[in-house]
Amino acid sequence: MKHYLQVYFECVRTCFSEVTSFRVHFVLCMVMDIVFYATSFASAIFIFDHVEVIGEWNKNQFLFFVAFMLAIDQIHMTFVSENFWRFSEDVRTGHLDYTLLKPLGAVFTCFFRRMRPSTLFNFIFVWGALIHFGILNNLSVISWFLLPFAILVSLYLLVMVEILLVISSFWIVEGYGINFLRMQFQQLSRWPDFIYKFYLRKVFTLVVPILVVGSAPVKFLFDQNKIGIFALLFLFAVLYTFLVKVFWKFGLKHYSSASS
Amino acid sequence: MSIQIDKLSKKFISYKKQPGIIGSLKSFVNRQEFVNTAVDEFTLDIQQGEFVGLLGPNGAGKTTLMKMMTGIIVPSSGHIRIVGYEPFQRKKMFRKKIALVMGQKSQLWWDVPAYDSFMLLQKYYELEFKSFKSRLDQLSELLDVTDKLHIHVRKLSLGERMKLEIMASLLHQPDVIFLDEPTIGLDVLAQQNIRKFLKEYQKEHNTTIVLTSHYMADVQELCSRIVLILGGKKSFDGPIEKFESLLGKEKFVHFEFSESVNPHKDFTFFDQFDPSWSNDFSQVDLRIPETDLRSATIKILQDFPLINYNCEQLPVERVMKALMEKPGVISE
Repeated sequence: MKHYLQVYFECVRTCFSEVTSFRVHFVLCMVMDIVFYATSFASAIFIFDHVEVIGEWNKNQFLFFVAFMLAIDQIHMTFVSENFWRFSEDVRTGHLDYTLLKPLGAVFTCFFRRMRPSTLFNFIFVWGALIHFGILNNLSVISWFLLPFAILVSLYLLVMVEILLVISSFWIVEGYGINFLRMQFQQLSRWPDFIYKFYLRKVFTLVVPILVVGSAPVKFLFDQNKIGIFALLFLFAVLYTFLVKVFWKFGLKHYSSASS
Repeated sequence: MSIQIDKLSKKFISYKKQPGIIGSLKSFVNRQEFVNTAVDEFTLDIQQGEFVGLLGPNGAGKTTLMKMMTGIIVPSSGHIRIVGYEPFQRKKMFRKKIALVMGQKSQLWWDVPAYDSFMLLQKYYELEFKSFKSRLDQLSELLDVTDKLHIHVRKLSLGERMKLEIMASLLHQPDVIFLDEPTIGLDVLAQQNIRKFLKEYQKEHNTTIVLTSHYMADVQELCSRIVLILGGKKSFDGPIEKFESLLGKEKFVHFEFSESVNPHKDFTFFDQFDPSWSNDFSQVDLRIPETDLRSATIKILQDFPLINYNCEQLPVERVMKALMEKPGVISE
């Protein structure tokens, strides 16, 4: 674990060194994400100008959900997102070769070595919103205590689902399509599960559990009696970790690199 | 034993595609797949400290073999052990004992100075900082890149980048180094510098090195043993001297004269060495058996207005060229 942390902090340091070489790009990335967060809130507020409730939630509950998903998104964009794009490109061009030679777990070196420091400081914006809407929803003490933990587990499940998806790059080689599919799944998860029709909801809860990512923990944070749905989050996190391990091994066996 | 390979094969499935839109649509719906055997029943043993040149034309299977030796790709069949490990199990200790340098790919981060990438490698390979630093200083001095460490990699020349790539691969002091065309695209001086460095490094550390290169000067200067791979199969394995004399123990000598000579006057003398004359008969290339080299040279010096002569620099290149043109020569 110490080895992984040391490498990770060095990766963070190197990413800072890299990104600060391009100052305008650094600022643009930061602004772009803040605009995205603002439009996400604005869209929800706009809808609630016309309706009282959506499904089982009122405006403040819905906005807390939006803030929860944006908190996941902010960590995702900062620490993971970049790696998915790089991975597909590396498989196609054969640049994955060097990554596989590093004396560390290959999943780690492939998906956690690049970060985007420019979006790191946006956490102030999303966590400010999250705390604000949490207060408006009168979250219990235990909910406040569980909130950071719920965000991390939700993020973990989302990342596992995404890794499982992009592992298919080993077979399909060109990974743009897969990456766009991954982004569409992210998009679907940014809405609460009850807005989806029965079959769609079942598929995206029990087969590809992206609706569990946000809806399960937020429902639990609102009402601690719904522990069953929160347990589902853990169950899928464990299941998808196992699936990633299995398919990663298959993928590596299938990797043919690219000609020199 | 540093490297043991037994009946190693690798098959890839590829598909043929016809040109144009119609061809693209056809191959999109129905692909004509075929199996390409990149490496075929390849067997090889390499002792610790050997410097082996892996030769072969493009597509012969050299890089595929190297990627199997480093655990990047999985063999279709056969066995392979590198410093006691099966590469594809990808044990941490195995990966710390090997290094791969690919002339056409980079492991350095493009938008940061190489020093940042080296710091990252220090953490990856869990190198103690003091020894890492002294090694970094030593290597950068030997490769003459001390002043390049803090410049963004994208701003460096190809030669400078390749030196830094080699440094990156040597920081953890690997037992086995795989060099896949490390001098490709470099100018003559940069090639010479890298060759000189590799030669000294190997001598000092007794490291096992496997080299592929299309520059025969690399092979001629560095390798004591040559393994030839043709169509995925091993066609030759032995000392470089034996490889050089594969087409006969002859020396190829070029002679230049101050004036035209009359070859017909000494017809029997020149003709026995398969002469190739210039148009004005002032230059000739001869293929002289090693045993006759001394006497033939003395005779030419004494009887003809000789102003210059030189022996062929790269006999390996000539042999390779002959083998690529006519692979059957080796079994004849």
